[in-house]
Amino acid sequence: MSNLEIGFDQPWYLSLLALIPLLWIFSYRSLAGLGNIRRLLALGLRTLVLALIVFALAEVQLLRTSDKVTVNYLLDQSESIPLEKRQAMLDFVIKAVRDHRNDARGDLAGVVVFGRNATIEIPPFDDDILVLGGLESHVNLRSDATNLSAALKLAQASFAEGSSKRIVIVTDGNENLGDARSVAAALAEDGIGIDVVPVKLTTRSEVAVERVMMPSDVRRGQPMETRVVLNNYSEQTVAGRVRFSRRVGLNDEFLGEIDVELEPGKRVLSFADKIEDPGAYTYQADFIPNDAEDDLMTQNNRATAFTHVRGKGSVLLIEDWQNAGEFDYMVERLRANDIEVDVMSSDSLFTSLAELQAYDSVILANVPRSSGDDAQSVSSFTDQQVAMLVRNTEQMGCGLLMLGGQNSFGAGGWSNTELEKAMPVDFQIKNAKIRAVGAVAMMMHASELAEGNHWQKEVAKKAINALGPMDYCGLIHWDGDDRWLWGEPQGIVKVGNRRTMMLARLGRMQPGDMPEFEPGMRKMLASFQRVNASVKLMIVISDGDPSPPTSSTLARYKKAEIQVTAVAVGTHGPAGHKTLQKVASVTGGRYYVVKDPRALPKIYVSEVRRVARPLIDELDPPVRPEITYPHEILQGIEGQLPPISGYVMTTLKENPLVEVASVVPTKHDPKNSTILASWTYGLGRTAVLTTDAGHRWALWKDWENYDKFFSQLVRWSMRPVNDAGKFAVATDVKDGKVRAVITALDKDDEFLNFLNMAGSATSPDLESFDIKIEQVAPGRYVTEFDADKDGNYFLTISPGSGYAPLRTGVNVPYSSEYRDRETNMALLNALARMKPKDGEEGVLIDGDLGANDFGSLLDVNSFRGDLAPAVSSQDVWPLFLVLTAGLFFADIFVRRVTVNFDWVLPAVAWIRSKVWQTETTQDVDQVLDRLRSSKAEVSGQIDERRAAARFAPSDEDLEDRGGRSLDDLVEGQTASAENAAAGRRPATPMGPDAAEEESYTSRLLKAKKQAWKDQPDKQD
Amino acid sequence: MPVRLAAASCLVSGLLAAAGCDGVGGGTGHVEHVWGRRGLSDGRLQKPRAMAINQQDQLYIVDTTGRIQAFDRDGQFLHGWRTPEIYAGKPCGLTFDRDGNLLVADTHYFRMLVYTPAGELLQERTIGGECGHEPGQFTFLTDVVRDTEGNYFICEYGDYDRVQKFSPEGEFILQWGSHGSEPGQFVQPRTLAIDEHDHVWVTDACNHRIQVFDASGAEAKLVRVWGRQGREPGQLRYPYGLALDGKGFVYVAEFGNSRVQKFTIAGEYVSHWGIPGRQEGELNKPWELAFDSQGALHVLDTYNHRVQRIRM
Repeated sequence: MSNLEIGFDQPWYLSLLALIPLLWIFSYRSLAGLGNIRRLLALGLRTLVLALIVFALAEVQLLRTSDKVTVNYLLDQSESIPLEKRQAMLDFVIKAVRDHRNDARGDLAGVVVFGRNATIEIPPFDDDILVLGGLESHVNLRSDATNLSAALKLAQASFAEGSSKRIVIVTDGNENLGDARSVAAALAEDGIGIDVVPVKLTTRSEVAVERVMMPSDVRRGQPMETRVVLNNYSEQTVAGRVRFSRRVGLNDEFLGEIDVELEPGKRVLSFADKIEDPGAYTYQADFIPNDAEDDLMTQNNRATAFTHVRGKGSVLLIEDWQNAGEFDYMVERLRANDIEVDVMSSDSLFTSLAELQAYDSVILANVPRSSGDDAQSVSSFTDQQVAMLVRNTEQMGCGLLMLGGQNSFGAGGWSNTELEKAMPVDFQIKNAKIRAVGAVAMMMHASELAEGNHWQKEVAKKAINALGPMDYCGLIHWDGDDRWLWGEPQGIVKVGNRRTMMLARLGRMQPGDMPEFEPGMRKMLASFQRVNASVKLMIVISDGDPSPPTSSTLARYKKAEIQVTAVAVGTHGPAGHKTLQKVASVTGGRYYVVKDPRALPKIYVSEVRRVARPLIDELDPPVRPEITYPHEILQGIEGQLPPISGYVMTTLKENPLVEVASVVPTKHDPKNSTILASWTYGLGRTAVLTTDAGHRWALWKDWENYDKFFSQLVRWSMRPVNDAGKFAVATDVKDGKVRAVITALDKDDEFLNFLNMAGSATSPDLESFDIKIEQVAPGRYVTEFDADKDGNYFLTISPGSGYAPLRTGVNVPYSSEYRDRETNMALLNALARMKPKDGEEGVLIDGDLGANDFGSLLDVNSFRGDLAPAVSSQDVWPLFLVLTAGLFFADIFVRRVTVNFDWVLPAVAWIRSKVWQTETTQDVDQVLDRLRSSKAEVSGQIDERRAAARFAPSDEDLEDRGGRSLDDLVEGQTASAENAAAGRRPATPMGPDAAEEESYTSRLLKAKKQAWKDQPDKQD
Repeated sequence: MPVRLAAASCLVSGLLAAAGCDGVGGGTGHVEHVWGRRGLSDGRLQKPRAMAINQQDQLYIVDTTGRIQAFDRDGQFLHGWRTPEIYAGKPCGLTFDRDGNLLVADTHYFRMLVYTPAGELLQERTIGGECGHEPGQFTFLTDVVRDTEGNYFICEYGDYDRVQKFSPEGEFILQWGSHGSEPGQFVQPRTLAIDEHDHVWVTDACNHRIQVFDASGAEAKLVRVWGRQGREPGQLRYPYGLALDGKGFVYVAEFGNSRVQKFTIAGEYVSHWGIPGRQEGELNKPWELAFDSQGALHVLDTYNHRVQRIRM
């Protein structure tokens, strides 16, 4: 169903065709000598050559026009749409495609689902849509917002070339991220049509807690009023209760409950409370309906607010859940020194930046990035939690300390994280003199896990990033053969500066269905044996159906001390587990069974951390670290620190802000032997102590300065205190904007004016941005910014020189996704009315997704052909150039070579005689006779000429020449001529022609003789 | 001159014809028909993994969606059905027995199922259903065949790469094979075939060889073993499919080399056909072979989601 046409990419070059008449004018006369036919032929060829060159310059293309249509269905899976309608969307698409897709034309259909993000469920494909077991993309889809513009962009990118394109959007139109109109306008410009299926939202029983209001900064014991705004959107009274609670640090406190009967509309409840203990408090109000049918959406039933009561310093210590209690002694001593310490286990980590606001410093006490022994128990700091720690320091001024141990720094898998950037040392060793530390090889086998390829790439990416530059890494996948993804033939190569290359190649990896483990494992074993690494680890991810490796191969792995960690995903029942379990157990590795692919990255980080062990430098005998700089932390501590028996090697950052307080003298470069270092990062301070705090390496409990050292270390890192002025910050959220009002007074309660205030805010997704603060009245400053995301926004405000930063937070309780209850028809109409270039406007497809068989929704054919036909082009100008070269040769040939056609008639006669055997014998004889007579005649003529050319001098000549010498001259020729005449044919008498030739020869001889005569005279 | 040209053309054509080369694909053989498109709807294929042809020359194909679909000789869709469960995995082996019923190796459910050609499950004839290594238990079943006496032979891989023999009533008779590369051992036996002597042919896929057994007695005897790993003609890489033509030749589909090779019964290389690729006459990891009643060889071109009918 496609047509071919010729087109030009640079059509203005076609104006050169005007040269053709000139060519004729100038060439016509110059080619006159060729005769009419050849002249016309030559001119024709020249014209063609010129025309083809012009076409090539104009970049001639072959245009293929197709009437095929591709329809991409965009399904809104956000929470604002009732679940049953979200589920019905896919059924609608299946039926619509089955009813309307034109198979003969090769129409394609695809599905994109979207919420906060968008993902391709089914790429455009020339078949009906059949989905087995519902939507798969739910695994990665966040449904707490509507980002229609992202879905439109993704759909545009997924269209295949060579067909007309249409998008069918199934949505309620309540977008709260992005701008669909502008994206749709760009799509229309590209000729992409848009149909819209509005999802009609019916009036639902709905109550929402709109917000909690309270002062952001209160004094100890000060009574305060907390107000809660509720909104009943339904048309009847709803009964329920409002529960108040507050959270300080890690503790939740229940404050009370109020029974309420909510009339339609808004209602404000107030609740009195006072705070006796200092800290950062989060107040929370929850609405619980008596009848769940009265409030269908539960996501909007909670709102929170913050307040802060300043007291003495408070610290959060995070320890590894597998080594709980390791820092109990240090915690006890800090508490004894008036520092409040909360201990948090790494398997129940903070979930928001708000939780960290209660603390002035956070201590990561020998805690690894990821830990655990199986897929269920493995826990790790997510990228987001790491970012929260860093933002808390950089933007909010909180301290951040890392204490050493076997699970910290590089040995804890913290390399290449944001945390590393925030610390005064790098966690990787960039020193070539230090031996390679670890080697990791990964084996990837395609599995039937949803988005298996995506997850395999994700885990490999995590693993590569967790390795240091001196570590080794290799990856084998099946591509018809077991192949290394990089570094052939060694396979396992040093990460070094190849990290970017490795990550780039991951993007192109397409693991196939590996039949057996044996060849790949042998290949890996050979490569491992060439690598000089202290720790060697293989990680295999598979569904367990390749044939297992032989026992001898496993034994060789064990002998070479290479552990194999097996990760089972989408295994085929118990049989699938056996192979992987055996591989792991024989080699001493771990075995993970993964049901939720989101656990995979944690497992990989946890496993790869094991190869980083050699970063630990254990000292025997123990060595005393030297104090290299009189740091504030070491104030009052003289001489050396007590001996230590180990520390984690790091690399000192080359930055003048870094202060190195202590180094341990070892064989290593001092840059890798830091014990205590600090610097300022953003608004906060960070410090590292690379030995531990008394559990294994630094047995300092009996050291008289133990309390002083650790309390000074912690206090140094804490947030600064503001006592130079009185600042009050009030915040509010309205119409999608956060507004903060700062009132500034000095110690005498006089307004502070003309302060050079600046600030920054951190959004719920931890993006930081600067805010502009303006003075609007005496002592009153205001800032305002968009808050289009739900969650906590934190503000840090610097009042100016001499004042410590202020910080506050504001909560946007839930996404507007949970606030919209009506279909946004204005937007949907606008989208459908977009007129695609060279096509017709889209259709607003009216109907009910909940109806049986979808009613009128199926009446509209979205595969209709009212869009601009798709045109795909192929450059053919190189072909034209080749053709030109051929024609140019032909032109020269015609002009330079005269072709004789005399052979044509005999050839025709010969062919006729061969092909048409019907000629009579008489005819043949006659022809033969003619040929024979012609032959005889021609032979006679030739003989005559030969005879005439024979050299036969006359007597007169002989006499003139003196006989002897002339005989010598002509003897041979005469003899041979006579012999030839005697042997071949009878002598022929000389005719008039021969006489004529003889006289010519005589004349020549005379001339010669005269010449010889003249010579002696001249000599004489 | 024209005579010379004509003569040269005739000579080249004659040589090509004598070599059996049709200008498509590699090696010897020619394509008769290619059919099949990727997809999920009826008549489409999604990585088809096993195929069997009945006496009416109807092709039954199972793919990675778990559908068993029936087609006529030219690829026209006839009907289809699914096995009872597919969550843990899909069947990998199909064979027609002499009664015209379809034997299905339900790989990940540790059992052999029997269906009528119309797709009706003959529940009472199911063998297996439990994972394990005891007689009558299985790990990953890959293929099933019946001999002239109606005995079943079922091969499997995993921890216990072996072949089990069952009576026509489904009673366990004997077993042989284990995981390994010695003669008589297997690493992933993929396909079974029965010859006119009731010998059992096994493609020992990851050992890259073919083994033939006489299992008519109290224990199975190794009759013949041949094949070694490689890419050259006569060598094998992951032989998955096998078909006997009844004329003294055996045909092997290689998953690893993407080609079909023809051998004598003794394992002597005769010819090959197919090169890796996506064009007509090219193969992308074929899994299965089957002859129809007209002597044409059907090749299940798995990763091209299609079937190629050839003669070689």
